Amino acid sequence: MSILVIADVKNHTVNPSTLEILSAANEIAKKNNMPMYILIPFGNIGGDSYCSNEFKTCILDLDIEQYRALNLVKYISTVIREVNASYIIGLHTPFSIDYIPALSVEINAQCVTQIHSLDVSEYITVTRGSHAGKLDQHIVINETPIILTILPGSFAPYTITDVQTKEITTIHIHEKDKHVYCKFITKDSKDTSLDEADVIVGAGKGIGSRENLNLIFEFAKLFPHSAVAGSRIVCDYGWLPYSKQIGITGKSIAPKVYIACAISGSSQHVAGIKGAKTIIAINKDPYAPIFNVSHYGVVADIFEFIPQFIDFVQNNT
Amino acid sequence: MQTKLKILVCIKQVPDTNASLCLNNGMPEYDEKTVYVINRYDEYALEEALQLKDRGLTSYIHTISVGPGRVQKALRRSLEMGADEAFHIQTQDDGLNTPHVIAQTITQFAQHAYDIIFTGVMSEDAMNQQTGQLIAAMLGYNHATGVTELSLINNTITITRELDAQESLMYNLPIPCVISVQSSIQKPRYPSLSNVLRARKQEIAIIKPDLAIPFAQTKCYFTMPQKTTQCQFIEGSISQKVTELYAILHKNAVL
Repeated sequence: MSILVIADVKNHTVNPSTLEILSAANEIAKKNNMPMYILIPFGNIGGDSYCSNEFKTCILDLDIEQYRALNLVKYISTVIREVNASYIIGLHTPFSIDYIPALSVEINAQCVTQIHSLDVSEYITVTRGSHAGKLDQHIVINETPIILTILPGSFAPYTITDVQTKEITTIHIHEKDKHVYCKFITKDSKDTSLDEADVIVGAGKGIGSRENLNLIFEFAKLFPHSAVAGSRIVCDYGWLPYSKQIGITGKSIAPKVYIACAISGSSQHVAGIKGAKTIIAINKDPYAPIFNVSHYGVVADIFEFIPQFIDFVQNNT
Repeated sequence: MQTKLKILVCIKQVPDTNASLCLNNGMPEYDEKTVYVINRYDEYALEEALQLKDRGLTSYIHTISVGPGRVQKALRRSLEMGADEAFHIQTQDDGLNTPHVIAQTITQFAQHAYDIIFTGVMSEDAMNQQTGQLIAAMLGYNHATGVTELSLINNTITITRELDAQESLMYNLPIPCVISVQSSIQKPRYPSLSNVLRARKQEIAIIKPDLAIPFAQTKCYFTMPQKTTQCQFIEGSISQKVTELYAILHKNAVL
């Protein structure tokens, strides 16, 4: 019995957040006294630095440009059986979630996704956000094998102290289909405003219309080095471009201050704001989940509060 | 020549995101006034299918929903939007069935009768993000999730999957396949009057679930979310709140 961590991919390389799930896996490994493996699903994503004498590394010699969920599931489930994995742990990102649940059919296991915390004190209990972040769902694991996906930003990264390349096993794939390929499209990344801003003001569905977004822009203008961003739905409505979307399918931000305006705070959005030093939420619903991750909360209607705030700043500075 | 496609769109009915929710013995409970709607992502999935229909590329679009009687309202809405036929797999409740059970039920219904099975990328309530992948695995089909664009030229489907704000991934999928659609700028349509009138007269087929599939629920309990920060609420009148927030922002050296 063992624990298998599957590395995620970002920008053609191993997503560094893979180290976070290695930390989570390590907690289970210590509790159950099991060996730990990390699987790098592609041979060309620079996975060979993810090795140590604390765990074993397997590299599947597939090309990332030949990605197909169906193929990957076939090869990874063979590895799962070979290492006799009881816990299979992946990162909850749009890339990995595409194939990880499908593994559960292949190996006949349960799959629990979007986990944000773990309790190994008595049993192994995993906790995931549900109902748009309004509730936490706790699942006590009583059957293995089990497949888990963990939200980025949920655990401190694991520190690899001694890189031991001799612990790497490469699994060669002989039957590669040359007709299978995929194309990574990098969108216009000239827009770095969210990376550079000290203050980011986020707009949620509660702003109601594109016109009302002007209020958010005026609010943001009060701060030097500021930017306006939004939740996914605001971008779906076309009120802001997708380059301004914060969350798991958008950007992760790390400004000095993030001000969430009329954003309820689903786990998908919250995963993108954990890097912010100070989080302030303004929302008229005192039960909005965003307050659970905020440092300061203002329960107020943004249409009442923000204009008064702008007046105050303009008259007092 | 392009063959006409047989399409199935999987629809979940979910409580409106503003619905008030309480806990009863560790289980979520909605009050009687709760409004149920089509899961937002499933509307985008249906829209993707309807665009193929608009281009004359479909032979028919079926919709399916697993759940109690109330889900017929969501199915009715799918007919109003333009689906051709709707199927209701009747169960006691749908909220906490595992994605595995739902996928098995849909797979059992679909057999190998469809060219494309569409789902939304996830449900707004449970947010498991698994059903599409599981159906594909059970049928042995190719699949793709987080799809924001789809083109169909000479029986070849090309999809674009969104990975994050910077990157997306594009590739072909053979037919048959399962496609999980992500919300995008392409807004789901409002029903036309003629479709509303047509849908009003249409019957929704009710199907009893296969009893061989154990309708197991996830063994779990719910709590209010854990607070990762100790949120300091700014109290008082609006003007007091304004002054205090200003002070906080000033202290943080951003104003």
